[in-house]
Amino acid sequence: MMLPYLIIVPLFGAFATPLVGLAGKKARELWAVLITALTLGVASELFYTVWKSGEIMVYTLGGKNPLGQGVGFPIRIVWEVDLLSALFALMVTLIAFVAVLYSTEYMRHDTGLEKYYTLVLVLEVGMLGIAITGDLFNFYVFLEIMSIASYALVAFRNDTWEGIEAGIKYMFTGSLASAFILLGIVLLYGQYGTLTMAYLAKMIAGNPTFTAKVALGLLAGGLLFKSGAVPVHMWLADAHPAAPSSISAMLSGLVIKIGGTYALARLAFSVFGMGISMKTVGWIIIFFACATLIVGNAMAIIQTDMKRLFAFSSVGQIGYILLGIGIGLAAYGSDVGDVALAGAIYHTVNHALMKALLFLVAGAVIHQLGTKNLNELSGIARRMPVTSFAFLVGAAAIIGLPPLNGFASKWLIYESSALFNPFLAAIAIIGTAFCTAAYIRVLFTFFGRPSERVVNATEPGKAMLVPMLILVLAIIIMGLFPWAISEKVMIPAAKTLENFSAYVTAVLGGV
Amino acid sequence: MNVLYATLGFIGIYAYVSFASLLWGGIDRKLVARMQRRMGPPLLQPFYDFLKLVSKESIIPRDANRFFELAPVLALAVSIALLAYTPLGFEPLFGTKGDVILFVYLLTLIGFLRVLGAVSSGSPYAQIGAQREMIILVSREGPMMLALFTILWRLSELGVTKPFSMGTFYEHSIWELGTPMSVIGTVILLFVFMAWLASEIEVGYFDIPEAETELAEGTMAEYSGRHLALFELASAIKAFVSASLVVAVFFPWGISQYLGLTGVPAMVVELLFHTLKVFAVLFVSMSVFRAVTGRLRINQAVGIFWTRLLPASIVGALLLALDTLGVIA
Repeated sequence: MMLPYLIIVPLFGAFATPLVGLAGKKARELWAVLITALTLGVASELFYTVWKSGEIMVYTLGGKNPLGQGVGFPIRIVWEVDLLSALFALMVTLIAFVAVLYSTEYMRHDTGLEKYYTLVLVLEVGMLGIAITGDLFNFYVFLEIMSIASYALVAFRNDTWEGIEAGIKYMFTGSLASAFILLGIVLLYGQYGTLTMAYLAKMIAGNPTFTAKVALGLLAGGLLFKSGAVPVHMWLADAHPAAPSSISAMLSGLVIKIGGTYALARLAFSVFGMGISMKTVGWIIIFFACATLIVGNAMAIIQTDMKRLFAFSSVGQIGYILLGIGIGLAAYGSDVGDVALAGAIYHTVNHALMKALLFLVAGAVIHQLGTKNLNELSGIARRMPVTSFAFLVGAAAIIGLPPLNGFASKWLIYESSALFNPFLAAIAIIGTAFCTAAYIRVLFTFFGRPSERVVNATEPGKAMLVPMLILVLAIIIMGLFPWAISEKVMIPAAKTLENFSAYVTAVLGGV
Repeated sequence: MNVLYATLGFIGIYAYVSFASLLWGGIDRKLVARMQRRMGPPLLQPFYDFLKLVSKESIIPRDANRFFELAPVLALAVSIALLAYTPLGFEPLFGTKGDVILFVYLLTLIGFLRVLGAVSSGSPYAQIGAQREMIILVSREGPMMLALFTILWRLSELGVTKPFSMGTFYEHSIWELGTPMSVIGTVILLFVFMAWLASEIEVGYFDIPEAETELAEGTMAEYSGRHLALFELASAIKAFVSASLVVAVFFPWGISQYLGLTGVPAMVVELLFHTLKVFAVLFVSMSVFRAVTGRLRINQAVGIFWTRLLPASIVGALLLALDTLGVIA
């Protein structure tokens, strides 16, 4: 069983980094790359096992069986990995590996790098923990590990005004959101006396109280904040531009999805699925999704700062994912709901790949030119062809052009929303139109007449180009087999998420 | 049909369409010359032009990036790929259900690649041409897509094997409905399609992005030699394909069943007959339109699309949709 190593390896790597760092810079970088590569290996193995067997893997910390001796309820912390968790763990480790590899060159001019690599590995631990945990308080702890590591990483360049400003904003509001989540958990514990998600799901199903609804409201509010949904997206637009680009790639590609949309979907389906009106929750999420879609994509058009543009575009893409989850809830049990949920899961993975790629491109531009103002960046394509090509692929994928991976996932979301409610499909299309406008504008800037600032630019080194090319390759390959992937991975993942009774029985057995 | 035969047929179609579309270029020039009491060039002039351009040196501007050389190749590649989904008198070779979206996407992509190539040249003339092409591109596809999807939706109601594919037109024709409302709606949509065709091949009113006299060839300002030749060929194929769409939507009738042909001979006859129909449509929408109208300003052209053609398209679509209610039979 490889599951514990998913946490052990990066956690050990994080705590050993300061010691390994004593051996010199090279050793430190090599260590971080090695650890993330190992974690990627563990996650691939885990994903393969879960996908192959199609079962839910349960691991109990400190015991053979989650149930206590002589009692019929679980008393230990359990980790519960279904196909969805395994898929997201794979996504997290892949992007983390790519980002760390990229950092070896990108962060070379910064100081305090032993802290940087420690924090990155801790961030990875937090995200992996959220993906695999089956215990509500354990979830909160991992969420805080992830959040605190990302506060620190956003403000990592503490000699810049914007790093500090964004870090403070992110930390203050983020702590408030975490407090909401904790309060929700406290209410649930007070009412039902358990923290194991599977058992809690059973208890809520048996006795759905008003407290459970209040708790769900608090949890959803906190998680919508973490995912950057619209009324509470303001931290994201500051945090992503201010963070180092390798971190922006992880924040935008992973943190807002694992800590936000994944957790939301997990709680709404697996924990509250049997006790509440899914239609109501679905429509509430759809409402926020529509606002997020329009505002995020529309704000992306008017930006002049490249990373800010990508950040707003992330907000917009979160809108699609939320729309998929919302329809999956509101149309639960129908084919439309299945397709919408599969689309949301697929889009999460795709968006992680392409937004990570775009932020790495932005990082390469900043690293080589020292500016991210789009008005000064005209004509990069002449001096940095590989970077521009990577941007072209990323932008085309995020708009959803057919030979690339973004098409299939967006198509599933469009199709299901059109079947569910044509008005929602129209909103999704409007969002895409805005998104297209925003990216075509950047594209024209990249391909235009070289400005004075650009004439002496050069391509970055191999350690920055290779991660970009890995992601380009992943995007293209995933784009060539969209329906096979959707059929073999995404639809089964959506089904496991929808099948909450299996989630419960995996822990409780036949009870 | 297995993949090998399909590929061979595809190559054959590509060769044929390249020939026919360039030939049409010659016919068009001849016809327009005659309309203006000139002799005009020989019929095969576009072939000579093409060969000459291919043999000439291609000059790459100093400020151009890699995409400048890549764009013509991609544009031609996309237009060739488009042929696999174009109705040419018979069902497209690689047609599947829903391929209409791919068709529209590839057709638009050719225009977009022209724009990208122009932007990559670094020339301000080309940049202005590119901006205009982009604006026209955005304006013209809306009315066409609405019209096309309405017709395909209406046809799919009649029961077809592959809904929303280009092969649908050969199973049912929109005129078959026969009700007064549907005929009026179809005529309105035909008008929209003819205007769209004129703007797709940039003639008459819509010769805006290239604008020889005003912008010195606009998007194509910096292209020369074989790169220009590739673009010219791609544009010629695109004109043929766009006209093929109009023909397939509105005039899909074949003649092979009257001649009692089946199999490959039938396909050849249909292809020739289709080519004739394409030439007829292009004669109206390209030669005549080009000879009798001048260029509009960009704002006027965009205005035409949003205030004339889009409403016309909406009215036509509504008529076709209301027709399903059977109020006026």
